[in-house]
Amino acid sequence: MNRPVTRRSALVSTAAALAGVLALAGCSDSGSGSGSGSSKPELSVSGSYMPQPVSADMAAGFLTITNKGGAKEELTSVTSEAAGQVTMHSTTGGTMREQTSFAIPAHGQLVFKSGGNHLMFERLKRQPKQGQTVTVKLTFATSGPLTVEMPVKSATYNPSTGH
Amino acid sequence: MRKKTFAAAVLLAATAGLALSACGSGSDSTAPVTAVSQESDSGKAATVLDQPFAKPDLVLTDTHGKKYDLRKETQGHPTLLYFGYTHCPDICPTTMSNIAVAKKALPKAEQDDLRVVFVTTDPGRDTSTELGKWLKGIDPQFIGLTGDFATIQAGARSVGISVEPTTKDKNGKLVSVHGTQVMAFSPKTNGGYVLYGENATVDDYTKDLPKLVKGANP
Repeated sequence: MNRPVTRRSALVSTAAALAGVLALAGCSDSGSGSGSGSSKPELSVSGSYMPQPVSADMAAGFLTITNKGGAKEELTSVTSEAAGQVTMHSTTGGTMREQTSFAIPAHGQLVFKSGGNHLMFERLKRQPKQGQTVTVKLTFATSGPLTVEMPVKSATYNPSTGH
Repeated sequence: MRKKTFAAAVLLAATAGLALSACGSGSDSTAPVTAVSQESDSGKAATVLDQPFAKPDLVLTDTHGKKYDLRKETQGHPTLLYFGYTHCPDICPTTMSNIAVAKKALPKAEQDDLRVVFVTTDPGRDTSTELGKWLKGIDPQFIGLTGDFATIQAGARSVGISVEPTTKDKNGKLVSVHGTQVMAFSPKTNGGYVLYGENATVDDYTKDLPKLVKGANP
């Protein structure tokens, strides 16, 4: 696993995501006729991971939801068959607060990252281990649900250093 | 290729920045103000304090249910002190895991000399048994302390770290707060002289621990 390869593949996947969004925009043309300035939210998920938790009691999850569309969206729930419960939390100034929904602005992002907003998985069926994936379903106010295969990384994983 | 990557990264960073500033806009009033919490943005993980803190005078209960006098037990040992709680999915386990992994890179004698002390800010849920179970999953040598919340809060405050009890908001949702800082105490002076913020990575601790165990500046 050397860096250049990882970086290139990240670029490729970004391009793929972009292409996917463009394709979606193409599909929605017949409805809205507005192309990339679509009046619908167009969502994609990137950078998802779960640091290997200390136990099966509790784990965190992180991801970014990008909305290329011209309409805002709202993340209303997160579920996973691997966990008894998944809740969404905001962090401001060291204070964690459970939220019932998160806004995803038009042409904007919703970012869950360590030290900021996070997903909290409770009562996991088994302790997720590095190398496994956890299937997570994201439900939105207007768009259809998205399913994410969230990779389990090391307990000390840092996305900015990549290890 | 390189230029393109850079441009993409800048764009991403810019977007992330926007998202962050949007999220952060409501936090101004609730951010706990501590004299020492603003230093972690400087790019370097460690902040060497001009004015070291005295070790908190805390007598609490350890994971074996025994009385633990922090000053007495850690006297002359390099010590890392953190205030957190186990029902915390993100920063608390990450911080402890970063230190645990970094510690393994030290020679055995220095590993045994180092005291890593996790003081709970949620003593209602974090009993000796719960703390012990949780820390065993990270590093069995780590010391976990629990006790009266007011005592713990005063101890944290004495080293400039703000902690609050876990409360419920009007909708019955739990609101939790934890300190994000790790303070390193010198084995030579027993003073708290280096501070790490929540952004400190495993690499930062791996690089700095060999100096911290000798009481040197990182």
